Amino acid sequence: MSKKTIIPFGPQHPVLPEPIHLDLVLEDETVVDAIPSIGFIHRGLESLVEKKDFNEMVYVAERVCGICSFMHGMGYCEAVEHLMEVEIPDRAKYLRTVWCEFSRLHSHLLWLGLLADGFGFEALFNEAWRIREKVLDMVELTTGGRLISSVNRVGGVLKDITPDMQKAMLDAVDKIEKELKPVANTFLNDYTVKSRLCGSGILSKEDAIALGACGPMMRASGIEVDMRKTGYAAYDNIDFDVITSNDCDGYARCQVRIGELFQSINIVRQAFAKMPEGEELSVKPKGNPNGEYLMRVEQPRGEAFYYVEGSGKKILDRFRVRTPTFANLAPLVHTLKGAPFADIPLLVLTIDPCISCTER
Amino acid sequence: MALLTFSKTVLKNLFSEPETLNYPATPREYPERSRGHIEIDIENCIFCGMCMRNCPPRAITVDRAKGTWTINRFDCIQCNYCSEVCPKKCLHIAPGYCEPGVEKVDSVIERPGGPLPMPKPPVKKPVPPKAPAAEDKKADEKAADSKAEDTKAETSGSTNPNVPRNDIDNCVFCTLCARNCPVDALTVNRAEKVWEVDEDTCVGCGMCVSNCPKKCLSIG
Repeated sequence: MSKKTIIPFGPQHPVLPEPIHLDLVLEDETVVDAIPSIGFIHRGLESLVEKKDFNEMVYVAERVCGICSFMHGMGYCEAVEHLMEVEIPDRAKYLRTVWCEFSRLHSHLLWLGLLADGFGFEALFNEAWRIREKVLDMVELTTGGRLISSVNRVGGVLKDITPDMQKAMLDAVDKIEKELKPVANTFLNDYTVKSRLCGSGILSKEDAIALGACGPMMRASGIEVDMRKTGYAAYDNIDFDVITSNDCDGYARCQVRIGELFQSINIVRQAFAKMPEGEELSVKPKGNPNGEYLMRVEQPRGEAFYYVEGSGKKILDRFRVRTPTFANLAPLVHTLKGAPFADIPLLVLTIDPCISCTER
Repeated sequence: MALLTFSKTVLKNLFSEPETLNYPATPREYPERSRGHIEIDIENCIFCGMCMRNCPPRAITVDRAKGTWTINRFDCIQCNYCSEVCPKKCLHIAPGYCEPGVEKVDSVIERPGGPLPMPKPPVKKPVPPKAPAAEDKKADEKAADSKAEDTKAETSGSTNPNVPRNDIDNCVFCTLCARNCPVDALTVNRAEKVWEVDEDTCVGCGMCVSNCPKKCLSIG
């Protein structure tokens, strides 16, 4: 038996957009154990709830993370709305659905780009991010911010999508779909991509359940779990199937996310077709939140929890976020064990790590 | 598995226009809704301080005595919440980001024509002559009770949540609320124990609530 070596991985590493540290225990070239440590970018955003009133907190909640910004704001708003028993206007529900899917599109395209960069396919990385820019332009056109949308409020949304904007968004979606097809074909069928992804980072169905994986990581292990099926926003009126794969490896995770990209495009089209007309975008909640509520939202990276607790005051007592990356860390460590050292950066990427969310 | 799946895209990209802008030679055009920086119509500002109290990063300072509205543009997160809460709608967000800098500096905006005139102290009305002593003490109490009920009915009758309400039992009629009201919507008469709010003038800024020493005022 050879000697064990500990090699630090991160917090600064070319493959990581955000800081996470892993102590890799190696035997020759094989990883036998990995010890993750987080806490490099903790900002204490949850504790700010004790200083800001519940309306102001929306803007803090959506700044938990830049990539998942819209859904953080929406998850918080939906939790407080349930707490205060506010029924938001139907149009606002559909608008939220459209923006949710646009943020899923840009998050998955970002991930595809990073993955391509991770295995050294620079041209594919640029191509994925070129398409992502079209999504961001549409988000900026309708909300005013490229990533941080600031359109949610407790009781509805602040801005409407005008018919002109709707047309621009649908045109953009058509264009994205057309441009995405050759890129998806390369990711799914190319020899170089497949040789890097197939069979790496196996997470079996049983392990995925036991370790509490979530999101595309869980669905790539053949488990049909999608919080959108719980019917928040307007998802109860949208027809879609949960995309799963039974391969359980890095390729399966890529396959699931690419499937979700096309599914998001479909959902955007459905939402615009079913969106009711109306001037009313929000209702003003009466009184202050009292009680507790746990909201579950399907982020691009998986299932996120938003727990809010109020005691009839303007300021909430407690706000807690459990983000998908935190849940996916245990499965990540499991997949790293037994993997060759050269695969580590790629395996870390396949969970789509979002460390800002995790540390809040 | 296929080989050269990307070659078509590569060839297409070779002979097409670049996707990026030649920035800053070609300036970027922002969409109309783009949140770049906050602008203020200082002429319409009543210096109520709603923006200052509601700003999530506390980037705004409002000084009513000096007539200045100050924003630290480096602290501002462009969330647009100040213009949401502004009762006079004199704040709005405009496209175009601010210039970068090496230190965080405040931009001070002064009201043309100096600060708003400070509210005048309440006018002292002559105290009405005391009721004749011949009246029964019980009747006096009764009268006081009915008077209090009348005032209560008058003040808590409002259903508008944007207008302050007064818990008249705790009110000491100190007139601090009326003196701090930026739009002179409150009338307080200590002698007659009357507290009134003009719902049409009130902008719901909450200055009265924050200045009430007995905490008997509430809003929302």
